[in-house]
Amino acid sequence: MGAGAVLSLAMDLGKSMVKCGAEMNRVEETIIRVCYAYGMNRVEVFSIISMMTVTAFDEEGNDYTQSRRIYAYSNNLGRLEQLNALSRSICAEKPDVAEAQKKLEKINSAEKRFRLSACFGNALAAAAFAIFFGGSWRDALAAVPIAVMIYLMNSFIKARGMNRLFFTAVCSALSGFFAIMFVRLGLADNADMIMIGDIMLIIPGLMLINSMREMLCGDVMSGLMRFLESIIVALAIACGFAVPILLMKGV
Amino acid sequence: MELKEALTIIISGLVGSCAFSLVFRVRKSRIFWSTLGGGLVCVVYVICVNRFNHEFFQNLFPALLGAVYSETMARVTKSPNTTFLACSIIPLVPGGRLYYTMYYFIVGEMEMFIEALKQTARIAAGLAVGIIVISVFVHIVNHRKFKQIYDIE
Repeated sequence: MGAGAVLSLAMDLGKSMVKCGAEMNRVEETIIRVCYAYGMNRVEVFSIISMMTVTAFDEEGNDYTQSRRIYAYSNNLGRLEQLNALSRSICAEKPDVAEAQKKLEKINSAEKRFRLSACFGNALAAAAFAIFFGGSWRDALAAVPIAVMIYLMNSFIKARGMNRLFFTAVCSALSGFFAIMFVRLGLADNADMIMIGDIMLIIPGLMLINSMREMLCGDVMSGLMRFLESIIVALAIACGFAVPILLMKGV
Repeated sequence: MELKEALTIIISGLVGSCAFSLVFRVRKSRIFWSTLGGGLVCVVYVICVNRFNHEFFQNLFPALLGAVYSETMARVTKSPNTTFLACSIIPLVPGGRLYYTMYYFIVGEMEMFIEALKQTARIAAGLAVGIIVISVFVHIVNHRKFKQIYDIE
């Protein structure tokens, strides 16, 4: 059993967790636990969101260092839970490294590009929040096609590696445009309520809270990066919605 | 607040939480519990809106409840607390206020913009403080145990 393979497994697991939206604490703890489970003596982890490096020392004192670069991450809490369970089972049962790696790959590959349940969730969320913030039934119905459009763009365009900020701005601009069009055509009552319902889908609220939590738990760097990113995404949303509001002269 | 309005908020918040469980791809067996968290948060939110005038307190108490609920559920089900926290706290995210902040800025009504910005900040502060107090506390307790086991600084 090579120490390099152990480290590789721990880091791939950590990387997958970051990509599902885990907090940095959880990731670092997972890496340390897995490395210790396979008999590493000392583990030094440094990770910020987009990069992590780990140096582990085995019993003879040889050191191994690897790093992983993380480009994109999103929220996939179901997979995060599976990864968490995998790390627990690795620490408890200490399976063969190759076998654990295979399990990890299986979790990571179980992903279709288009998922009906997620699409339905998007539509339902937009409709529910249009009503939550004071819109009418017709506003909620009008928010549905826009939410589906956002989901389709998310899963087919963004997945192809489009710049996240540009994507968010375009997405917001199109949503705003359609929301105002629906009201102009007499299909809905309040364009602002439709837009609010759809904003809830792209707003980085969870990320902002996570960033605060990370900063207060001692991960100032990760927290700051997440914080800045969520502010920039929010600005991109604002820029996107500004276009239809200004072009179509008010709501 | 009228009963009808309160019920609308609670039910739409509940549906919203359930919908976001699907968006965040929470596992099927957990969706009921994450949705229930959203419902509880909305009920407390409605009560707090009637009790307090300040947005900070209107959001602080539901956020506290959501955080305690999700930490408890995380313990019970042995899964990451984000699974429950993300979905149950979603109705408190100030999407509406944020929209108006942006809108007033775009159309150039600066006084309204400042007012909306203040409101957004107060809501966000209440929400963040509520969640962070609980999760930082839990983190401190957990991390201490972790540090003892693995002997790191």
